[in-house]
Amino acid sequence: MKRRNNRQAELADAIVDPGRRRLLKAAGLGIGSLSLAGTGILASTPARALATNARIVIVGAGAAGLAAANRLSATLDGARITLIDRRERHLYQPGLTLVATGLWKPGQTIDENQRYVPRNVDWIQASVSEFDPDANRVVTDTGDTIDYDYLIVTTGLHVDFDAIEGMSPELIGREGIGCVYDNPEHATRTWEMIDRYTTEGGVGLFTRGPGGIKCAGAPLKVAMLTEDLAQRRGHRDRLEMVYNSPGAGLFSQPDMDQFLKEEFPRRDIAINWHHRLVGIEPEQRRATFATPDGDIRFDYDFIHVVPPMRAPDALGNSPLAWQEGSFADDGNWMEVDRHSMQHPRYPNVFGAGDCVGTPIGKTAASVKAQVPVVVDNLVSVIAGRELTASYNGYTSCPLITSRGQAILVEFDYNLDMVPSFPFISPYREHWVPWIMKDKFLKAAYNAMLRGRV
Amino acid sequence: MAFSIFGILAVLLEFIRPFLPLILAVVIIELMLLVVALRRNGLLNTFRALKSTVPIGVVGFVIGIFTVPWMTGAERSNLAGIIDWLSLFGASFALGLIAMLLVWPPFALFRHRAS
Repeated sequence: MKRRNNRQAELADAIVDPGRRRLLKAAGLGIGSLSLAGTGILASTPARALATNARIVIVGAGAAGLAAANRLSATLDGARITLIDRRERHLYQPGLTLVATGLWKPGQTIDENQRYVPRNVDWIQASVSEFDPDANRVVTDTGDTIDYDYLIVTTGLHVDFDAIEGMSPELIGREGIGCVYDNPEHATRTWEMIDRYTTEGGVGLFTRGPGGIKCAGAPLKVAMLTEDLAQRRGHRDRLEMVYNSPGAGLFSQPDMDQFLKEEFPRRDIAINWHHRLVGIEPEQRRATFATPDGDIRFDYDFIHVVPPMRAPDALGNSPLAWQEGSFADDGNWMEVDRHSMQHPRYPNVFGAGDCVGTPIGKTAASVKAQVPVVVDNLVSVIAGRELTASYNGYTSCPLITSRGQAILVEFDYNLDMVPSFPFISPYREHWVPWIMKDKFLKAAYNAMLRGRV
Repeated sequence: MAFSIFGILAVLLEFIRPFLPLILAVVIIELMLLVVALRRNGLLNTFRALKSTVPIGVVGFVIGIFTVPWMTGAERSNLAGIIDWLSLFGASFALGLIAMLLVWPPFALFRHRAS
């Protein structure tokens, strides 16, 4: 660690031009004093700028990567920032649940990365196939080697359909199989299945992948919105709904867990504990669940498959991944200090978003809270200052319980509720969080991508 | 977490961004009408015309009370607690205000012709 810290100081000396080192007023500096008790969705802009010729590479142009690129380009003067991602399409993933339940059109979740890449950032359209943090470089799948002084890893995660025997993404939309995750095409085909299921009825299995998954509220929302839709259509009595949880709870936040444990039975959704989906036989419409008592098979008419998730292979197999412990076993997640978001073994490397191994926080709201910390602390490293920014684990889930109502759940590493709006109860269904989810969160998300909140 | 006025404005900007050309066109037309009204009718009469738009604002408010939940895909029964009702009244008030402001310049011109 000492060797790394010395390296960090050397890097800072080499990269920062002390003669040009200065602080610039941020756009909202005068406004900063007007800050109010607030939200994880709306927050302050970077407050300082620094002259540097540092080479900064950001791997991944998802929510975290684009937000970091915009913040860094506004915060640093002279830095050579490179963004690496093959994808031209940007997906508003928090909207996929709404697409899968027929509330949004798929186009509402589709955008273009180009609209959010800052002009002074080089965008390399390739995928990183190898991380070599000892040599400060990454290698792309096109064979290019890109050297860096600082690295921000925001690759997102891999939805591991192969971890379920017999399952593949091509099955989504066939044989009663749905999966809200990954892209709007999956969500659209899931809607076709839910639309049919809530008309024809039968046995519906709702699952959740074990370990860290993105937007852990999504499987619950899909179950509740399906039930709500069947009620509205007057077909509820045709549906037998079962939620198979891989563990002993439904939600990591205890108050919300308790609410859901009462809400599901109230809505006649049966719950099975310690049921992990391990196999599927599409033609027979049969699913196998691993339980403490051995494998159990369920016949179904509709199944919402939520596979396990893990870091992309290039990251998970690199030295940047956790080498041991629960985050290594769970999904080969990237190792970071849970508060500073800095890599403990490679201090010129930071991580944010779905790919990092932190106790909670694979949501867009977490990205909103993490990225300013990453940028502030990276700037501090470049300037040779102490790291002061800290991520408290903030995450948020507008938990939609029915069309028109949601609970705005926000909590931190301690699993304490940290409501941004004290006047909105985090324990009760309201109309206002529904409007936020349906109408305003995408606007907040886009502002986040631009580094403005 | 803290948020800033800058942050709120940034979110509002993103919210209206898809409609920005339409909003700008309407605002420009309204401003042009208002300038014409001011020139023909004078400051006092133009502002008096604003009073005439109050019934339109009230109608907009009442329509808002009945339709805003529906416009959000919700139903009246989804409103639970004072914060939801205050939000509904606030949104409806804003709807009424916008209706008033939209009809104000044409009303000001109409007043001139009538007088």
